[in-house]
Amino acid sequence: MMSGPALSSPCPCALELEDIDFSYATRFNGINGALYKDFSLRIEPGSIVTIMGASGAGKSTLGRIMAGILIPQKGIVRRSPDFTRPSDLVYVDQHPMNGVFPWQTVLENVRYPLEKLNWEGPRRRDRICYLMTLFRLSALSDVYPAQLSGGELQRLALSRCLSWKPKLVILDEPFSALDGKVKAEITSALHELALKDRMTLVLITHNVSDALALGMRCVIIARRPVQVMSDLDFHLGFPREENTPDYDAMQQALINGIRDGLV
Amino acid sequence: MDWLRRNWRAWSFVGGLIAVWAIVAALRLVDPIVLPAPWNVARAVPGMLRERLLADIAWTLGRVLAALVVACVFGIPAGLFLGYRQRAYKVVEGPLHALRSVPASALFPLFLILVGVGETSIVALAAYPSLLVVMVNAVSGAALANQNRLYQARLLNLNSLHMVFDVLFYEALPSIFDGIRTAVSYSLLLVVAVEMFIGLGERGLGRAIYLYQSSYRIPETYGAIMIAGMIGILLNWVVTKLQHHMLRWLPNVREEQ
Repeated sequence: MMSGPALSSPCPCALELEDIDFSYATRFNGINGALYKDFSLRIEPGSIVTIMGASGAGKSTLGRIMAGILIPQKGIVRRSPDFTRPSDLVYVDQHPMNGVFPWQTVLENVRYPLEKLNWEGPRRRDRICYLMTLFRLSALSDVYPAQLSGGELQRLALSRCLSWKPKLVILDEPFSALDGKVKAEITSALHELALKDRMTLVLITHNVSDALALGMRCVIIARRPVQVMSDLDFHLGFPREENTPDYDAMQQALINGIRDGLV
Repeated sequence: MDWLRRNWRAWSFVGGLIAVWAIVAALRLVDPIVLPAPWNVARAVPGMLRERLLADIAWTLGRVLAALVVACVFGIPAGLFLGYRQRAYKVVEGPLHALRSVPASALFPLFLILVGVGETSIVALAAYPSLLVVMVNAVSGAALANQNRLYQARLLNLNSLHMVFDVLFYEALPSIFDGIRTAVSYSLLLVVAVEMFIGLGERGLGRAIYLYQSSYRIPETYGAIMIAGMIGILLNWVVTKLQHHMLRWLPNVREEQ
């Protein structure tokens, strides 16, 4: 799963990208110009980092490189020595249908990963119950994903991918299909899970309020090849209250950061 | 009779065809030896049933089902494994497509030598192209599987067996059903043809059709042919029902559009 030499030095971080080069080679018109060139980023364990950028900036690509789905042409993706199993690092796709099994009901979808990862019966049942309640899926136990609304599907994808307590989760646009009230519920659910299960979260979004809802640190990327335009730390408590001076200040900082990136 | 009402157009068309047949027969536009009247065919059926028809239907159906079971039991896992391990598939792809191109009917003498005279050779012959088509469809179904979902499945550290039967099987199921439909056509065709021209115990619908025709019992011949057709319709209906049940979770693409 690693590109480049295996861990040469112990990595105190959760994830580190070092001098990554990446581009999509297209068959239509040759190499599409380098997307990532000598790009570096470091994610500290236990943090909640938001990767922000305009649509098409390359955020999903970055998420996939971090997850090991895409292999960079150059550079090292270093992962914490804590990550011993493939299930420790999860990438949750933007399209929730890619994160669920359509042939299983909602309940089976949440149960299957836990069964396959050898969670014992009582512990498994408790975890399923907890997740179904947290993500408000209990009433939908016997429904198939094709019958779910976009928001319900997104909640299912999230609850499924987080069920086995992965150590690092990369969420690509997790709130895109959710409205304000549901979003607030899911945000607090995610925060609760992150704290309880000591997860490191990487959120990818282009929505400012999504970034402000959960993140402790925000990395704004833009330009080709991709560069980090700003790297902001938040000092807001949780839950985030809109229309407070601190919140507005951070919101403005973010908006400025994005605007600089577009220029 | 709800299904009659719902498909009244289709039934009217069928009724219309029978009406044309009746008119042609009544007006004696065609020699009755060549085209018997529909009522004569209908009158012949009870006699056929009493004679041997039920046993014939059972034998033909049994052989067809045996061939389909062999095709699915061996073709689906083989196809899914090959679709999953594309490297292995590339190795066998050429010979596989070559085998598919040989008409199965031409191979029957070979099967007789290899497998021997008897039920096994009929079933083997019918199973041969059926297995190939189910396997090739399973391969393409597995190759077209949603890669993002396979990534999610791989995170769970599944062994190959679970990967293939819990995940790839369902991803490939629509393709596999297309293969099964085609396999039904092949099986019925080959079983009836072998029964007609080889014999092998004088049993089966193909044999019945041949014997009735060679003794110039034309209404019975037509009756047996139509019943063979109905067997085909029945098998297709069963496959469709099975498909609707096993694929009930499939997102309706048309709705999304």
